[in-house]
Amino acid sequence: MSWLYDIPRDYIIGLADQGVIHYTFLYAFVVNGFLCALVVGPLLGGIGTMVVIKRMAFFSQAVGHAALTGVAVGVIIGESYTAPYVSMFSFCILFGLFLNFAKNRTKMSSDTLIGVFLSISLAIGATALLWVSARVNTHILDTVMFGSILTVNDTDMTVLLVTTLVTALVALPLYNQMLLASLNPSLAHVRGINVHLLEYVFVLLVTILTVACVKIVGAVLVEALLLIPAAAARNLNRSIRGFVIWSIIFSTASCLIGVYAPMRWDLPVPSGGAIILTAAMIFLATMIIRMLVPRFREATL
Amino acid sequence: MQGPSVEFEHVGLTLGNTRILENISFSIRAGSIHCIIGANGGGKTSLVRSMLGQMPHTGRITMHWHENRVIGYVPQTLDFDKTLPVTVNDFMAMTCQRRPVFLGSARSRRGQIEDVLSRMGLEGKGKYKLGNLSGGERQRVLFAQALIPEPAMLVLDEPMTGLDVAGREILERSIVEFARAGGTVVWINHDIVQVNETADTLTYIDREIRLQGDAREVLKGGVAAGLFPSLALGSTVAS
Repeated sequence: MSWLYDIPRDYIIGLADQGVIHYTFLYAFVVNGFLCALVVGPLLGGIGTMVVIKRMAFFSQAVGHAALTGVAVGVIIGESYTAPYVSMFSFCILFGLFLNFAKNRTKMSSDTLIGVFLSISLAIGATALLWVSARVNTHILDTVMFGSILTVNDTDMTVLLVTTLVTALVALPLYNQMLLASLNPSLAHVRGINVHLLEYVFVLLVTILTVACVKIVGAVLVEALLLIPAAAARNLNRSIRGFVIWSIIFSTASCLIGVYAPMRWDLPVPSGGAIILTAAMIFLATMIIRMLVPRFREATL
Repeated sequence: MQGPSVEFEHVGLTLGNTRILENISFSIRAGSIHCIIGANGGGKTSLVRSMLGQMPHTGRITMHWHENRVIGYVPQTLDFDKTLPVTVNDFMAMTCQRRPVFLGSARSRRGQIEDVLSRMGLEGKGKYKLGNLSGGERQRVLFAQALIPEPAMLVLDEPMTGLDVAGREILERSIVEFARAGGTVVWINHDIVQVNETADTLTYIDREIRLQGDAREVLKGGVAAGLFPSLALGSTVAS
């Protein structure tokens, strides 16, 4: 797949070489980070709207933490500790599916159940990490938790690209059905929608995209990127169209600014942190607009 | 268009330790308005949801369909987060088109959506946020969505809740016209006066069937037994 990435990479490096864009783009790792930001932004911004509507923010956080356990499992079974994708995907998918199964069976509220599963997963992860701490430097956990967009390689980019394509191919045709199923499952069922199957599909999508983004923005930060741009877009929009489009714009802008700004102005901020801080600033700005602009005025209680 | 007939045979429903329905047997004629009445907690919604395949009931419910097998369903309420950025047009589009709603309404559906909204007295409300509508307006939107695509059967779970007089008249007229055109209506209704004026047949359930048959006959018997004081006061039972 390297040739596929060489085309935009060489083009951007060429532009930097000619002085058209800033010289930091002469470095391939910066360009890689930028290309990832261009994919991660729309992906998380788009799916984030559904996560907000379905109130699944806490779920994506749980999957992110399950990825930590996935890394430990990967090291135990002998996978490369820098990219234990097989273990991460396997563990997180099992985690997500089992959580959804338990939710359907117990009819318990999802925040309670996610809390239970999150604790179990972290306990397993902590135990497994203790076993593997002799074998690897546990600082790799920092990368899992907070990501490292500037160290992504072609494998990471391929995983991200395939995940994005799968998510788009599945989520776009099913978007309306998922929306209706979350607004009124009974009405959705009469319309011929398999509500339970769609729940599993969505859980799977959030799981695989969370894992694919772990290396890039980090387990903790994936959740933030799923949530903050969508929340900011929700502050300013009355329709689904505006909600989705602005969430994608906010998310992509946060990713691009977060990668570029620290290098351009030599700021002492890691890229993952800069991405989320940018998103947070956008959110604050939308909140202020919402408070000040009369057209957003609503009932106080 | 011809609606289906429906047969309930010894239908029962137990959830947990609670017996909700017991030995329910009756049939609904094709092209008729059949009202289901009864006290709160008597099992009306559970019976309808059993018919829609959403409850683990026992016994048998058979629907005899013709070519059109579309059910238009109006749930009791649209229980959702009212701050969600969903407009009336968004809601209508998501119920009847595959194209993602954030890409706009499909051209083929746009005219239909405008038409049913105006029939429900909701002209110009398409761009309003669903959460900002009044309860009655939201009920009208819920009813409007049930009309696309053209149904052969309407299943209504107290659609008049929160409606003003104008809204009630619009919905009632639409329901009666739908049945006159051959559609079948199954209607959970608390308003005995309205049942008396519109229903062809009715079933009064309270876990099991209490009264069942031709609407006028049943209501007459019920009035005589003191079951329907609102009707007795108005003395409006049709002869």
